[in-house]
Amino acid sequence: MSFDRKKTTQFDWPLFALVVLVTAIGVLNLYSTSHTVPLVKGSSPYIKQMYWIVIGLFVMIVAASVDYHIIVRYGYVIYGLSLLCLMIVFLNGKIAHGSQRWLTLWIFSFQPSELAKLTVIVVLAKFISEKKISDTFGIRDLAIPFFLVLTPFVFVVTQPDLGTAMFLWLIFFSIVLFIGVRKKTFLTLAIIGAACVPAGWFFLKDYQRQRIMTFLNPERDPLGSGYHIIQSMIAIGSGGLRGKGLMQGTQTQLKFLPEQQTDFVFSVFAEEWGFVGVVILLTLFLMMILWGVKIARQSRDMSGMIVAYGVTAYIFWGVFINIGMVIGVFPVVGIPLPFFSYGGSSMVVLMMGIGLLMNVSMRRFMLQP
Amino acid sequence: MINEPKKIGKADPGHFRGRFKIVILVVTLTFIILVGRLWYLQIIKGTVLRDRSENNRIRVREIKPLRGLILDRKGRILVDNQASFDISIIPEETENMGCVLEALADLKEDRNVSYYKDIVTSEMSRPFIPITLERNVSRHHLAVVETHSLSLPGVVSDVVPVRRYNYGETMAHLVGYVGEVSTRELEISSFSGCRSGDVVGKYGIEKYFDAFLRGERGGKQVEVDVSGRQLEVLGRIDPIPGYHVQLTIDADLQSVCWDAFDKKAGSAIVMNPRDGSILAMVSKPSFDPNLFNRGISRDDWRSLSLNTLCPMQNRAIAGQYPPGSTFKLIVAAAGLEEGIITDDTTVTCNGSYRVGNRTFRCWKRRGHGTMDLHHAIVQSCDVFFYNVGEQLGVDTIARYARGFGLGSLTGIAIPAEKKGLVPTRDWKEDVLKEPWQRGETISVSIGQGFLLVTPLQLLRAYCAIANGGTLYRPRLLESINVTKKERIKIYQPEVEAQLPVTPEHLALLRKALWGVVNEPHGTGWALRQLKKDVCGKTGTAQVISMPEDGKEEDEIPYQFRDHALFVCFAPLDDPEIAVVVIVEHGGHGGSTAAPIARTVVDRYFKGVDKDNVVTRLINREF
Repeated sequence: MSFDRKKTTQFDWPLFALVVLVTAIGVLNLYSTSHTVPLVKGSSPYIKQMYWIVIGLFVMIVAASVDYHIIVRYGYVIYGLSLLCLMIVFLNGKIAHGSQRWLTLWIFSFQPSELAKLTVIVVLAKFISEKKISDTFGIRDLAIPFFLVLTPFVFVVTQPDLGTAMFLWLIFFSIVLFIGVRKKTFLTLAIIGAACVPAGWFFLKDYQRQRIMTFLNPERDPLGSGYHIIQSMIAIGSGGLRGKGLMQGTQTQLKFLPEQQTDFVFSVFAEEWGFVGVVILLTLFLMMILWGVKIARQSRDMSGMIVAYGVTAYIFWGVFINIGMVIGVFPVVGIPLPFFSYGGSSMVVLMMGIGLLMNVSMRRFMLQP
Repeated sequence: MINEPKKIGKADPGHFRGRFKIVILVVTLTFIILVGRLWYLQIIKGTVLRDRSENNRIRVREIKPLRGLILDRKGRILVDNQASFDISIIPEETENMGCVLEALADLKEDRNVSYYKDIVTSEMSRPFIPITLERNVSRHHLAVVETHSLSLPGVVSDVVPVRRYNYGETMAHLVGYVGEVSTRELEISSFSGCRSGDVVGKYGIEKYFDAFLRGERGGKQVEVDVSGRQLEVLGRIDPIPGYHVQLTIDADLQSVCWDAFDKKAGSAIVMNPRDGSILAMVSKPSFDPNLFNRGISRDDWRSLSLNTLCPMQNRAIAGQYPPGSTFKLIVAAAGLEEGIITDDTTVTCNGSYRVGNRTFRCWKRRGHGTMDLHHAIVQSCDVFFYNVGEQLGVDTIARYARGFGLGSLTGIAIPAEKKGLVPTRDWKEDVLKEPWQRGETISVSIGQGFLLVTPLQLLRAYCAIANGGTLYRPRLLESINVTKKERIKIYQPEVEAQLPVTPEHLALLRKALWGVVNEPHGTGWALRQLKKDVCGKTGTAQVISMPEDGKEEDEIPYQFRDHALFVCFAPLDDPEIAVVVIVEHGGHGGSTAAPIARTVVDRYFKGVDKDNVVTRLINREF
């Protein structure tokens, strides 16, 4: 721990407070759903979620303490380790002949695909800052970053976890477009992207195609994925202005709402807390994201800026895609709501990301070593 | 965020600071969209959706597809669907499950509460999913339950389509039957669309063409009020009914075959030699496929499975019999092809034939005298074929038998076919670990001994003789139809092989088969004087190797009596129908099997004439 006054400014209390507030509301929300969901062995999800938050806070402190320049310097090593985890999961899956997302370590298991979201940010920060891109991106400059994302993408998409896999590209494009690309490059990418759509359609699993078709026309499949969306919208809408109150959501308590602790956790919140609660929660998320943007803006070098910007984009896309999905403005893709959805891997990795944000924030006035 | 290329010299975050304004703008706009959508859902549509969530429930109800029909060649319905009634309970809608179950049990004499309680505890998944308590209840019981519906909250009745087999046991082996998909079947990929409780084909055509007949499940999402009444259908996917399967079977001819058999056990098949289409296929004794519709009862199953005559076996494709004298045609073909005999080779039959120290008798004790090939076939002289067979050797006979399609599956489109047995020297040494005996070749040359064929194999071989040498794959399926008339796939005849026999030799054999029926001393006299020239061959398959001398058939115990065989085709020029009849323990082919074949052939040509008259009339009118 190097809280050297000369090198660091104060601990980023506002960010910390925002994170604690959002996770606390999240735990309360999980507590509300835990009534209906039969106890699987061991503790209730909300208890487990608290354990994860505690672990996450510890990870956050560690991630904030080690100078981010050192973290970025070892960017390729971190990236390599993350790929290794993905590969182990991939090989395990091959052996088990089924979908495999979990890596069991010791007594707990985690999803390397979550970690990949963060390591991709770090490795892109390293590449861009060291390459000293003095120009906007040309097509050749993009080749290496492209493959840095393509590799984990291939592993994740074969798990198969299309949502997380596409998320990696969102992070990639957020960073690349921010740094800027040449007009010609942009057009080329757009054309290639457009060409990939039919090809990608071919590679999608049946259920994934189904989901996209359902999004375009929810009436098409009111029994399968359309059912989830319709139930979710009823839950949210029935919350009205002030909500039905904690543990009073009928859609939730009667289990009409699917996946209510993971992907559709926001619907539970919206049903029980109403429009007022939803606006408060969205404001908290917006503040957190804008705070992240502020940290990126004030960072004193390229690597810090990209790390902070990337983590902020990570949180932003998570919030937008998840909420967009449950309110029917986005297809169902299985992206958890940051700090809210039940799940250890997502929580710990997000906390790690917050740690990196604090890291950049604390070292913004540091002199160049 | 597209920027013109411009040098900024050194990597400097300062250069990018301006862009954060755009980022902030994008983020804020996105949040405004989210809040706007939530405003719409929660404030504008809030009341409507709140009503829906509080007073109403949304439920997914499955709509089962109708299984496709099975039709005969003329479009007559062999198998269709009818309604059956189920009684189920929706746990969510019963205040006191115990009371309701008790009340329900009181309505049916042979039920007690614990029976229902066991079902509920084992099937309970989610409170709004109905649990089936009774299947296939009588209309009477349904009426009783409906009248008590006020005291039975949560109890509902469902109409379930079940199969109706219009021809009952006449066609049981052919069309097969259905049953609930088993857990083992659910693991197989061909059943991937199925859920437990679905009905799938278990036997016969129902099983073989299940994927076509099954259809696709639909469903609807409905809004119901607190008492479970349906208020509004929010979404619906119509089930896709299964395709109809049209068979080459002629239902009339099938019934004629069935009736002609009377009470005897055995099987009969009618085939069109021109393309291998099967017009009728009967196996007796049989069973009623309707018994399997909603799960067969224990008693019914026991009486079926304990029956020593094995009614579940399809004798036409799985019954294996020695072909007896019907095999002589194949030995004759082999003899002609191998140059051992010609059409004027003669052998003198004095009633017996000696091999080593064993004597093989002709069926005619006095002997036939001097025989050429034609007369040896007409009168079915054993000694003639002992000679030919001995010279050919068992391995050559086996080669020709295989050439005629014996000893291998015909590939007919129904399950559980057997492939018979064509013995060779190697086979005996491999399987029985004993060397081949000379005498065994003699037995094989008149179709006895180890040799086994199924009725279908035998018929197909004769069809090939009839049509000039083409061995067809038995064709049972005419087409797959969307409606009764509209066909989406037509199954063409499939040629499997050509006989290893020249057309001249086949013509000789056909002429001899004509003689069997139409010449003096011919064993197939029963089919003489029909409108068309019938060609055929009798056969008697020994069940025990040496029938006791002098005993009349009636004196031999049933299970030791010989099987009677008869194969025929007609007319001699360009045959269009071939029939095989096997009567188990029926004695002589000529006296028991041939009359059945006669009835079938007779009715076939009468039917054809009638059709022709109708066609002529129609043509004249229009």
